[in-house]
Amino acid sequence: MAKLPTPEELVASRPEFPAQSWFDYKPKFEAGSYCYPAQKPTMELMHMPNPHDWDPAADDWNLPENWKEILCDAFADRLAKHRSLKLFMDICVRCGACADKCHFFLGTNDPKNMPVLRVELLRSLYRRDYTLLGKILGKTIGARELDYDIVKELFFYAYQCTECRRCSLFCPYGIDTAEITAIVRELLHEVGLGIHWIMDPVKNCSLTGNHLGIKPHSYKEIVEMLADDCEDIVGIRPKTPFNERGHEILFICPSGDVFADPGIYTFMGYLILFNELDLDYTLSTYASEGGNFGSFTTFNMAKKLNAKMYAEAERLGCKWILGGECGHMWRVINQYMDTYNGPTPAHMQTPVSPITGTVFENAASTKMVHIAEFEADLIKHGKLNLDPSRNDDLVCTWHDSCNPARAMGLLDEPRYVLKHVVNKFYEMPENTIRENTFCCGAGSGLNTEEIMELRMRSGMPRGNALRYVQQKYGVNRMCCVCAIDRATLPPLANYWAPGVTVSGLTELVANALVCKGEPKRTMNLRQEDLPHLDEEEQGE
Amino acid sequence: MKSLDVFFNCREQVIEEWVNAIFNTYPLQSTGFLRTVKDPFTNPVADMTREAARTVYEAVSGWDKKPEDVKQAIDRFVHLRAVQAMLPSQGIMVFYLLKPIMRKHVLPKLKDQALQDYLDAESRLDTIVLMAFDIYMKSRETVAENRIREIKNQHAQLVRWAQRVGGSPLEQEGKS
Repeated sequence: MAKLPTPEELVASRPEFPAQSWFDYKPKFEAGSYCYPAQKPTMELMHMPNPHDWDPAADDWNLPENWKEILCDAFADRLAKHRSLKLFMDICVRCGACADKCHFFLGTNDPKNMPVLRVELLRSLYRRDYTLLGKILGKTIGARELDYDIVKELFFYAYQCTECRRCSLFCPYGIDTAEITAIVRELLHEVGLGIHWIMDPVKNCSLTGNHLGIKPHSYKEIVEMLADDCEDIVGIRPKTPFNERGHEILFICPSGDVFADPGIYTFMGYLILFNELDLDYTLSTYASEGGNFGSFTTFNMAKKLNAKMYAEAERLGCKWILGGECGHMWRVINQYMDTYNGPTPAHMQTPVSPITGTVFENAASTKMVHIAEFEADLIKHGKLNLDPSRNDDLVCTWHDSCNPARAMGLLDEPRYVLKHVVNKFYEMPENTIRENTFCCGAGSGLNTEEIMELRMRSGMPRGNALRYVQQKYGVNRMCCVCAIDRATLPPLANYWAPGVTVSGLTELVANALVCKGEPKRTMNLRQEDLPHLDEEEQGE
Repeated sequence: MKSLDVFFNCREQVIEEWVNAIFNTYPLQSTGFLRTVKDPFTNPVADMTREAARTVYEAVSGWDKKPEDVKQAIDRFVHLRAVQAMLPSQGIMVFYLLKPIMRKHVLPKLKDQALQDYLDAESRLDTIVLMAFDIYMKSRETVAENRIREIKNQHAQLVRWAQRVGGSPLEQEGKS
């Protein structure tokens, strides 16, 4: 008689552990664990090296014949170019402080998702080729020679890191694992390995200026349509200035705010706010994207895609740039833009709020101000007539998006704004917010639907904290200043804390904003009835 | 001694062994962290595992537990196992790891006439596994639903715009 396995036998998921060391354990490419590969025509069009067709689940990835040489040369090149990389390769003492800080590790419990081991994948190659001990002692001190399986392993784990930099926060040496992931991805692109969800927006951005590849006339018409919606709600149609020369401010936001729900409500918020302020600004169909998926491929691609911001400010003669609610856009602006595209065009000036006169000295170099800073300054100076009770149906919490929080220190400004536009606000637990914030689990170009399962586990630490405040305080709205978050948090909330919705900050600002001469408002930007309507009717 | 008291007296030992058996289904290098860090947000997997284990054991023992409370206690845990890289059987089977542990610690301490009490307890575990199966399936459906919803949302405004190109259809259009 055939013997059925026992429950213990069924769940023994560690046959390879510890019989095999982590070094020898190879990842399994199963559906849901990897992103679809970039298409060959896309890679060709973008002049990426070695474009080819390949399937991550296949044994053979059709790499170019001399793949090993290409990768070793590229690695040598990056080590020479980025002193930080060489330093990061040398100084890690494997103390493990970062190990349990990664949301991917916490969600998957895969040891190679500990930042230290993820980087060790690359560091082991470095040790073999660049250290004397590694050359002599090899595997005994964790050095290994590059082989085909290691390329696959690098790909697997480089796309299980959202470059959120939470681990860096805890590293006593300040090793920036995100930069190492960025370099690994850059190396992989050298042998033609990229993912569709990143390369397609890169292509679209290169051709039309935004991620979805929407052409200028369509982009403008969609914005007009949203302005129509604003008129239905507020009773005043906001201006939609496009590509107009001679305005003081150029406004650039992520295109996700124009095309995707619930980002559109944030965009409508921008239009309503600027109209109320009678702001001297213009939108651009050329710089119609603040996001920069180039930053998830190579530094050069990031530089190329980012160049349009200053180019457009120069063409239109704008003095400074106001930036919308985007995440990685601000990482690029705050950390790389000066080096990539600086110095700014000669006529640009240190931003000064035309409404309050505040000089944004912090933006003296890049000439770009974050909308949350701009709004906080307006509120501080009492320039906005706000009625937070219009948001009384919401019990809010604040998600610090990784890039604005950790890469530019934008922690208090959005909270200041939020507290002035809503009456009910509760923080998530201390070790999951501000600098300690947990990633949405799908940043850095991983917000694609084919890895939804992976995203649900990598986003678990965030979902878990959200669920806690949902149960404790009845939180039903999570706010953030990142377009990727607005795309990735709704499914995450739907999984871990169903009933919580997601919005941008400016959506709530516009809900609360009492515009001059507006008829009595009955709807919020989502065209839902405002709270207290029944009470007011009874009062009347 | 009543059967319930026997279950109660073994509680901490059984739960600890069971929780460790669950942690052992993860790679060796991860289990040390799972075992040692107690903070619910720093180590959420251990927290949700312990929350589920405690309530499940108490319910299995025959304590007065509402089905809703049991569901609530295992909800996070099952949601997690539903999206971790494992087979559905591996996701759910961890509940059955409780049986050998109870047979080791509880069964020998029960008197012969209390065998029925023990069998009832194991049957209660079977019921809980079925509850977990429902949550597991719902979780998988949510993942699929999320994928569909996300695809729709990404292009929601484009579809609206495309439908408006050339002007909105007249209200009377299509009516005879």
